[in-house]
Amino acid sequence: MVPDANIDVKKSTSRLFVRAPGHGSSLRPIRNVITDLARQVGFPEDEVAKIEMAVDEACTNVVEHAYEAKRNWAWKHQNPEIRLTIHTDADRLVIQIHDNGKRFDFASYRPVNLLERIRAMRSGGYGIAIMRKFMDEVEYKSDDVSGNTLRLVKHLKKS
Amino acid sequence: MKDFRIEQESRGNIQLIRLQGSLDMYSFPRLESHLQTLFQQGRYAIMLDCSQLDYVGSAGLGVLIGFAKQAREHDGDLKLLRVPERIYKIIELLGFTKVLQVYNTEDTALASFQKP
Repeated sequence: MVPDANIDVKKSTSRLFVRAPGHGSSLRPIRNVITDLARQVGFPEDEVAKIEMAVDEACTNVVEHAYEAKRNWAWKHQNPEIRLTIHTDADRLVIQIHDNGKRFDFASYRPVNLLERIRAMRSGGYGIAIMRKFMDEVEYKSDDVSGNTLRLVKHLKKS
Repeated sequence: MKDFRIEQESRGNIQLIRLQGSLDMYSFPRLESHLQTLFQQGRYAIMLDCSQLDYVGSAGLGVLIGFAKQAREHDGDLKLLRVPERIYKIIELLGFTKVLQVYNTEDTALASFQKP
């Protein structure tokens, strides 16, 4: 196993930018960035754990499907990257996850029943259902110019 | 954050596997390979000590329920031991504890293998 990837983290006044190789070794450092930020924003630990898992599932899909190593996609001629843009409003955390890999046909995706799938002891296919369960908004868009962007939003509920 | 590590001990016919670090899409093939080897040896009674795990993603959970299913088909099981509270809350919320048995102590986990 190679060490965790070096990821590049830059901050502007209102946003955090993360660039990481489109590889499984990037997942842990990306989770570290996300959990640190979610705690700073004020999310309780239970919600931090949900945000961590949702972002990990999203980035896992990029590595596993968008940048699927077994296929000769056009991206192989570039540097496959995961790029995250994160910002916070007064009451929400917005995480955009960007890649230039294979497009996912989000429109044709049929939501799975998480519990039915677990009871059937299926070994995969949970990622999007987990993102939808743990985040308040999940949106995907893709075009030939900008590539693929998944937008995850979590509202900070004030008690 | 710790690197992913797997250590194994035997408790009679039951294999105790200690996991450390993060069980995610990057690390799960190592656990998958380890469990496949045990199953090829006919060892289907597995306890996974999760006390040193700091994260489990759906790729890791998928491996766990996939191998638990296979183990049960051979009169064995794959059970979780000492799951950290932060991880337990997540897997309970998602419903994975409905199919994976979780124990707080090694003794209770071992005893559960003896029950008919």
